[in-house]
Amino acid sequence: MDACGAVEKEIDKVLTKFDDIRRNSSTTIDDLLNHVNNIRREIEDGGTSGTINPGQAILLSQTVKRIQDSLGHVSADHKDLHGNVSKVGKAIDRNFVSDFNSVCNETAFAKEEQTSEINQVICEHFLRQGMLDIAESLVEESGLEIHDQQIEPFLELHRILEALKQHNLSPALHWAQAHRNELTHHRSSLEFKLLRLNFIDLVSQGVAKQQEALHFARNFAPFASSHTKELQVLMGTLLYLRQGLDSSPYRHLLDPIHWVDICDVFTREACTLLGLSMESALSVIVKAGCAALPPLLTIKQVMLQRQCSGVWSAKDELPVEIDIGVDCRFHSIFACPILKQQSNDSNPPVRLICGHVISRDALQKLANGNKVKCPYCPVEQAPSDARQIFF
Amino acid sequence: MADLKSLEHPTLKVPYEILNKKFRAAQKNIDREVSHIQIDANELESCLKKNAPLGDVSRVLDGVVEKLTIMKRKAEESILDEVQAARVCKRRIEHLKDYETLSPTAANQWQKKRLDRMLVEYFLRAGYYSSAIKLANQSNIEDLINIELFLVAKEVEDTLAKGDTSKCLAWFHDNKSKLRKMQSTLEFNLREQEFIELVRANRRLDAVKHARKYFVDLNDNQLCGVQKAMGLLAYPVNTEVPAYKELLEPSRWQRLVQQFRQENFKVYQLNSHSVFTVTLQAGLSALKTPQCYKDDGLSKNPECPVCSSHMNRLARKLPFAHSAQSKLICSISGRPLNEHNPPLMLPNGHVYGCDSLHEMAEEHEGRIVCPRTKQIFTLDEVEKVYVM
Repeated sequence: MDACGAVEKEIDKVLTKFDDIRRNSSTTIDDLLNHVNNIRREIEDGGTSGTINPGQAILLSQTVKRIQDSLGHVSADHKDLHGNVSKVGKAIDRNFVSDFNSVCNETAFAKEEQTSEINQVICEHFLRQGMLDIAESLVEESGLEIHDQQIEPFLELHRILEALKQHNLSPALHWAQAHRNELTHHRSSLEFKLLRLNFIDLVSQGVAKQQEALHFARNFAPFASSHTKELQVLMGTLLYLRQGLDSSPYRHLLDPIHWVDICDVFTREACTLLGLSMESALSVIVKAGCAALPPLLTIKQVMLQRQCSGVWSAKDELPVEIDIGVDCRFHSIFACPILKQQSNDSNPPVRLICGHVISRDALQKLANGNKVKCPYCPVEQAPSDARQIFF
Repeated sequence: MADLKSLEHPTLKVPYEILNKKFRAAQKNIDREVSHIQIDANELESCLKKNAPLGDVSRVLDGVVEKLTIMKRKAEESILDEVQAARVCKRRIEHLKDYETLSPTAANQWQKKRLDRMLVEYFLRAGYYSSAIKLANQSNIEDLINIELFLVAKEVEDTLAKGDTSKCLAWFHDNKSKLRKMQSTLEFNLREQEFIELVRANRRLDAVKHARKYFVDLNDNQLCGVQKAMGLLAYPVNTEVPAYKELLEPSRWQRLVQQFRQENFKVYQLNSHSVFTVTLQAGLSALKTPQCYKDDGLSKNPECPVCSSHMNRLARKLPFAHSAQSKLICSISGRPLNEHNPPLMLPNGHVYGCDSLHEMAEEHEGRIVCPRTKQIFTLDEVEKVYVM
């Protein structure tokens, strides 16, 4: 069973048991209270002699016994829960990795200057998301030095994003229209997405806004050829104005996630136009890190068992290959298929005349005098015919 | 969902430890109330035995009723406390479980929240409390992070830094069972420091009393410490004898703060490094390529985070990514080179993607300009390249 499910099962058990015990203990105590109160009344009503008669004495000693028994149960029942509670902890320990210090390089970030670099990066991350107040508060608390010029370009961004969060599209639309040329150059669909949200907003208000929606649809004209499919969907919504979009096949368009998403789309485009990278460097790296940690932890486990050196020390390369997806590839890596090694300046990739690429060291190893046969096809050639290529 | 497994242990373990603590507290409360009632019940029994007057019996019964009412309230409160702690665990596990079923857009938002969670924790560890609280508030993740734990720690650290042991001792008492199991020396060190402070204030008789009260049942190590501390009694406060001068160093308080911090983490099974820095290191390494460090003006990619100046310096000491397989991208479009976008070589040896070269040729009447050397070629000069 998956990790979260296992823990959740234990937690659910604890929660139901707690509910039971809460009910039981309060009814038990209520019963006792009633019982004691009744007895007291009985004794006081019946007692004229100033002493307890034998019947009452028996009743009282039974009460004492009952109190002792019931309360003993309440305490014991609660104590029994300990097993359930500690099972939650065990499930967490079993299903989640508790110690990742082993994959942490102690020295790499130890210095003051590195802390300040990290803070700088975090600060940029928040600036580009328009979260100026957090960036400012970080600058203040960490003693970071940052100039007003660094913040200035983000002020407009911040203003537009704040409006978007209030579901106000017009500042963003104005911005997109003002930068239409640059945006089309980047093949950006920001303007279309903004218009689409605006349109859906109108349509979702029902028949009352029908005229306005139809009128608004004219804004889509420039996008007719580039976004045909999406436009068809949007126009389809008009059929369901009367019964409401909620119950139509188009209800996915109403998902509030689109409003959150548009903020990201806008941020990305605006940062590109500001000459920044499209994605925040920090989020790309953390995303890659999230993908990299599981295999690193696994290999660490294996290495510990075989008593090898640490994850970080081995010849300046990570011990495992980490697949972080095509989106996170920023440089070409050529690994020689013969030597299974990454190429570098002293051992660059070369192209044989048949088109196959191997590394220069591999070529020299395969060469027999002034002849070499391609390892992948029957072509023979002189090693000097191979030429260096650049990816 | 391997990343959940490796990253989210503290997200769940800390509220669990709190639940466990609440459970113990509740058990203690219930047992205490039960024993109070027990005393009254015993009294009632002895009343019956000696045939006490009615007035006495009803007075005892009054006591029983009163204590039962108190117990009812206390039990209710304690159990409610536990339930709340358990609900926190449940809420967090639900949030984590969500990740598996989300649509891609929603998963993106989830990841953004995760980054914010990591950053809040990083801020808290670094002592940037108001940034942490602001961020937690804005991205609506207060339920999902262990902010409480750090705020308590902050209070203890602040008082320690002022030379006050009371908060830290209270904290120690609060977590006694765990700390005892860890064989923590914190309590002893705090008491020793108190002793030193008494000597410093020249209240030597009080110091001896203090020692008598607190330096009992010690282990061998501590005995040595006590002997040394007691030796201090014989020296003036401005002593130059190194061993005793060291005892009077004000920096010892800083060490207590450090020790407290570490033990606090240990109590909650937190790692000594934040999830954020560990992830950052792993991510930097996974993306780090030799090209990120070539200063030929051609190799760096503005979209690559490791090529950006701060990250570049941060990653300097970290290992490169390992790759036994070629992973090629077209340096013009950034798109991967594969069977749909095969690599093509220009006569100068530079390789680009088929798509980019065709687009360029279309825009420039059949001519191709190599972006790196500015040489001009035509489409029929390009040759195929096969990378295994």
